[in-house]
Amino acid sequence: MTATIVAPAFADRALEIGGRTFRSRLMVGTGKYRDNSTMVRAIEASGADVVTVAVRRVPLDRSKEEGVLHYLDASRFFLLANTAGCYTAEDAMRYARLAREAGFNEFIKLEVIGDQQTLLPDTAGLLEATRQLAKEGFRVMAYTNEDLITALRLEDAGAAAVMPLASPIGSGLGLLNPYHVRIIKSRLKVPVIVDAGVGTASDACLTMEQGVDGILMNTAIAEARDPVTMAHAMRLATESGRAAYLAGRMPKREIAVPSSPTTGMLS
Amino acid sequence: MIAALPRLHAVTDDRVARIEGLPRLVAAMAAEAGAALAVHLRTRTLPAGTLLALARELGAALAPHGAWLVVNDRADVARVALARAVVSGRTGLGVADVRRVAPSALVGRSVHDAAEIRAAAAEGSDFLVAGSVFATASHPQGPVAGLDVVRAAAATGRPVLAIGGLTPARASDAVLAGAWGVAAIRALWDAADPAAAVRDFLAALPRDGTIALVVNGEARQARRGLTLAQLLDDLALDPRAVVVEHNRRIVRRDALAATPVDEGDAIELVHFVGGG
Repeated sequence: MTATIVAPAFADRALEIGGRTFRSRLMVGTGKYRDNSTMVRAIEASGADVVTVAVRRVPLDRSKEEGVLHYLDASRFFLLANTAGCYTAEDAMRYARLAREAGFNEFIKLEVIGDQQTLLPDTAGLLEATRQLAKEGFRVMAYTNEDLITALRLEDAGAAAVMPLASPIGSGLGLLNPYHVRIIKSRLKVPVIVDAGVGTASDACLTMEQGVDGILMNTAIAEARDPVTMAHAMRLATESGRAAYLAGRMPKREIAVPSSPTTGMLS
Repeated sequence: MIAALPRLHAVTDDRVARIEGLPRLVAAMAAEAGAALAVHLRTRTLPAGTLLALARELGAALAPHGAWLVVNDRADVARVALARAVVSGRTGLGVADVRRVAPSALVGRSVHDAAEIRAAAAEGSDFLVAGSVFATASHPQGPVAGLDVVRAAAATGRPVLAIGGLTPARASDAVLAGAWGVAAIRALWDAADPAAAVRDFLAALPRDGTIALVVNGEARQARRGLTLAQLLDDLALDPRAVVVEHNRRIVRRDALAATPVDEGDAIELVHFVGGG
């Protein structure tokens, strides 16, 4: 069942990355779903218009399942190909070029992984690949650490968006370092999209409250007991966090301040 | 003439040469393979007369199927038994001397390292027998040159037969390393059914008019002159749904029909799958 559309009841500018405008600040992955029908319904419920896909070999014996586009209407979503699984700049660039040749767009979610256990990025390789791909006309969305210096270098290298992690890919640990994510957002001109690590709706909300431009997630939805309902929750949380950021929160105080008048009390 | 060099070479040793009814077994193998098979008579223990008699018997069993008799080292026996080729070992006669004795036979040289490969090419060997590629049951601790010796031998431009531990499963690796064909001893003669083993080997070796390719990491055969568009068609793949990389270069959709594939080409066919 498709969730009712909740139109934002607040004024916000559209998200713009690399010259393209997007409706939703929530981007979702297409991996790890138990079946394709659940994936499609969850993506619908998320309200996302950007969906990520991976580049892999076509199975040559046709008994195996078809590619994701067999199930997903490519005309309704913006397909953002990733370079997941690439451990060198060279590999990532190879995957990026193959993805672009599919003919959908010039965007690439660039991952250059540096370690198998944590899937943390190899920032040297990432910078190298970002620089080269940007030269080749790619709109590079670079998956990176929540490290300001790398984020600044990526922007210099021509990234169209910088994507710091909330916590490691698929970990569900939530936003581990709000301060660093916030400072990255405050220093970059290009959009900052937090990618990876959220586990549930409150993580998404807290992340958006930092003022970042968007959030990308996959496992938190795909591995929920009910992915379609979790997708709906993530949509609300993303909008909620964004609205709260725009509204501007009250200051934190370590003493209580009464909410009711202190005058007019009975003697 | 070299183009007709068989792809599969069944090499005998002293033990096999003494098998009772060897000519009958060889005839059954030749019936499977036809001109794709050569049987090498290789033994150092038989006296010349006995060797010649066996060579004639094997030649008579092979000839009706178009399969080849090859004699190792003994150019004199090769000439008299009308063998199609002579293979000279490390300590055997040189190519020029073999030609003097058996002028109508091809001459192959057994090579094991870069120096031997250079020497064999310099003396004009028609083909090279390169090994030991893998560890063998007969020499489990012997020196193994790996597929590198095949690559180095193939770089001379002469046909190369890979030898040493070859099995049907490993034959395509040898071909992808540049071997024209493979030579085997135990994988053929020690098989429960040597004729069936011949069939298994041939399935892994290029047939005439076919080329060996690697498609998505799998060794495959394709007919010579095939284009990428035809390859996709053979695989029942929609060219609009895949991206094609040919020897590390992306081929645009509109160029697929004009791009032929060639021996040893590496082709990657990719599409989008679910991912984060």
